[in-house]
Amino acid sequence: MLNIIACFKWVIDHEDIKINPETHELVLDRAGYRISDYDRFAIEEAVALTEQYGGSTTAVTVGLPAAKKSLKDALARGPEKAIFINDPAFHNLEPSQTAAILAQSISNQEYDLIICGEGSGDLYAQQVGPRLAEHLNIPCASFVRKITIEGRELIAERRVDEGIEVISMPLPALVTVLPEINSPRVPGLKDTLSAAKKPVVEITASDLGQTFASCLETVEIKATTMERNCEKFGAEKDELKRFIDVLCRAGVVD
Amino acid sequence: MAGVWVFAENYDYCLELLQIGRSLADKTGVQLTAFACGDKGIGQQYIYYGADQVFILPPLAEDQPLGTYVPAIVEAARQEDPDIILCAATLRGKEIAARVAAGLNTGLCSECIALAINSDNKLEMKRVIYGGAAMQTLTCKTRPQMATIPPHTFTPVTELDDTRSGIIKEIGPISSTPVKVLAKKPRAKESGDITRSRVLVCVGRGVEKEGDLKLAGDLAETLGGDLACTRPIAEELHWMPQETYIGLSGQKVKPELYIGLGISGQIQHTTGIRDARVICSINKDEDAPIFKISDYGIVGDLYEVVPFLSQELARLKKK
Ligand SMILES: Cc1cc2nc3c(=O)[nH]c(=O)nc-3n(C[C@H](O)[C@H](O)[C@H](O)COP(=O)(O)OP(=O)(O)OC[C@H]3O[C@@H](n4cnc5c(N)ncnc54)[C@H](O)[C@@H]3O)c2cc1C
Repeated sequence: MLNIIACFKWVIDHEDIKINPETHELVLDRAGYRISDYDRFAIEEAVALTEQYGGSTTAVTVGLPAAKKSLKDALARGPEKAIFINDPAFHNLEPSQTAAILAQSISNQEYDLIICGEGSGDLYAQQVGPRLAEHLNIPCASFVRKITIEGRELIAERRVDEGIEVISMPLPALVTVLPEINSPRVPGLKDTLSAAKKPVVEITASDLGQTFASCLETVEIKATTMERNCEKFGAEKDELKRFIDVLCRAGVVD
Repeated sequence: MAGVWVFAENYDYCLELLQIGRSLADKTGVQLTAFACGDKGIGQQYIYYGADQVFILPPLAEDQPLGTYVPAIVEAARQEDPDIILCAATLRGKEIAARVAAGLNTGLCSECIALAINSDNKLEMKRVIYGGAAMQTLTCKTRPQMATIPPHTFTPVTELDDTRSGIIKEIGPISSTPVKVLAKKPRAKESGDITRSRVLVCVGRGVEKEGDLKLAGDLAETLGGDLACTRPIAEELHWMPQETYIGLSGQKVKPELYIGLGISGQIQHTTGIRDARVICSINKDEDAPIFKISDYGIVGDLYEVVPFLSQELARLKKK
C-alpha cells in the first residue's frame, strides 16, 4: 500500500498574458489560471501507481485562497483527497518559500512517496521538489521518466545529460517527473462530479506557526520582445521563388 | 575563504563557469574557488584557467550518484561563507543546486542567463519566466547568492597560464547516500549537436506522420543543415531524439537560418530560437503565432511547399 502525495501548482495561463506595448510591462489581471501542465503528469503518476500497487493519493497545493478553484480539477484526476495550504500572504511565493511551507505542512503526514512535476508552468525554476526533499531529509531523484516499486525500494529511470541513469532509493522518497512518464487521463463528467464530494483539508499560515521569508528580490519583470521582419509569402510558385530569392540575398542560402 | 565558488559536473562546463566566475571575483575583489570531482590533476588545470583555490571532492564509487556531494558542499559553504555559488545547470546540477540552496536556506536563481554586479556590490541575475514571455531580474537577499547557469551561456576560458599557483584542498569525506546508481545508459549518438548547426529545419506537429520527416530531411540536406523539432515531436511522438528539440526545456540554438515547418510558435518553443539570424516558417494557418516572430513566413501547406522548395534549391545549387 502506498501513500502518495502529489504536489501541484495553480499557475497563470501563459496564453492569457498580454503585453503593454509602450511600457513592456506584463498585463496579468485578466489572465486565467490552470493546474500547471507538468503537475498533471505528477498527479497521473501518483494515481497510476496507487492503482497498480494499492494505496491512496493526496493532492497538495500551496497558494492564495483563490487557488481553491484548482481543487476540483485536481481531485477529478483521481486523488482521494486534497490538502489546500492557503493564505492571502502566499502571494508570488518563490521556490524556497513554497518548499518550506510544503515541508512544514507535510512533515506530520504519513507518506511513502512525494511526486512533483519537473518544474512549474510559470516560473519553471525546478527547485521545489529537490528543496522539499532536503527539508524533509528524504532521498530524491529528479527528471524521472519511469518508476517501479519493489517492496520498500523505488527504482527510477532518470534523465541525465549523457542519457539515462537507473537509481534505487528506499521509501519514503521524492521524485520529480518528466512529461514523458505517462499520458494524463482526461477527467470525465463522473470524475468531476465525484471530485466535489472528496475531502479537502485546509491549512492556513497561522496553522503552520511560523513565517516564511523570501530570499530573492525581484528588481524588474519586463516582457521579452522579438523584433522580426514579419514578411509573409503565399504558397504559389512565383511567391516561393521570391522567398528563395530573399534568402539568397540575406546570405543564408548559397 | 569567501568569494565566488563554481561547481560543474564536467570539465568543459567548469571552464565556462571559471570565465564568468573570474570576472565576478575580480569585480568584487574576492577569490575564485572551483570544485573538482575526484581528481587533483583537473584541480590543477582549473587553477591554470583562473581559479585561486580548488576543492577536491573525493572520487565517487560506481554506484554513488553525483548528488552524494550535496552534504559536503553544504558543509564547506557553512564553514567558509562564500558570497556567490554558481552551478552548471545540467540536469543533475539543477537538482544539486536546489538541494544545496535548501541546506543553506538561501535563494537560487535557476537557469540564469545574464549576471552583473550592481552598485551595492550584489549579484544581479536575469532569467526567463512565463515560458519565455518575460525576463525577470533578481537579487538575492540571503547568503550565499546562488545561480545555476545553462551550459554554453558563457564561452569557456581559453587562456591557460601554467605559471599560476593556487591552493588545492581536499574536502570530505562524503558519507554514503541511500540513492544508489544501478545502471547508466549513455545515449546512443543518434544525432549531431544542433546548438552548433548553421542551418536548422525544424519540424512540428503539422507533420502528420513519422515517414513525412523525410520531406524535412530532404530540405535540410539541400540546405546543408540539420533537422530539429518541437517538444511534442520528441517527447510525445518519439519520432526524433530528445536532444533535438528546441525551446525552453530543450536546446537554445543560434543558427544563421531556421525554417520551421508546421509549428504553431508557442513561446516555450520560440524562446529557443531568439538568437537565430533569420527565422522562416511555413504554416497553413495565417494567424499562427509563429508568423509574428518570423522574418519570412510562407502561408501554405507544408506538403506542397516543402517539396517545391527542396527541388528549386537543388536546381539552384547545380547551376
Ligand atoms: C513549461 C513548458 C515548457 C515547454 N517547453 C517546450 C520546449 O522547450 N520546446 C517546445 O517545442 N515546446 C515546449 N512546450 C510545449 C509548447 O507549449 C507547445 O505545445 C509546442 O511547442 C507546440 O508544438 P508544435 O508547434 O509542434 O505543435 P502545435 O502547437 O500543435 O502546432 C502545429 C502547427 O502546424 C500547423 N499545421 C498543421 N498542418 C500543417 C500543414 N499541412 N502545413 C503547414 N502547417 C500545418 C498548424 O496550423 C499549427 O500551427 C512547453 C510547454 C510548457 C507548458
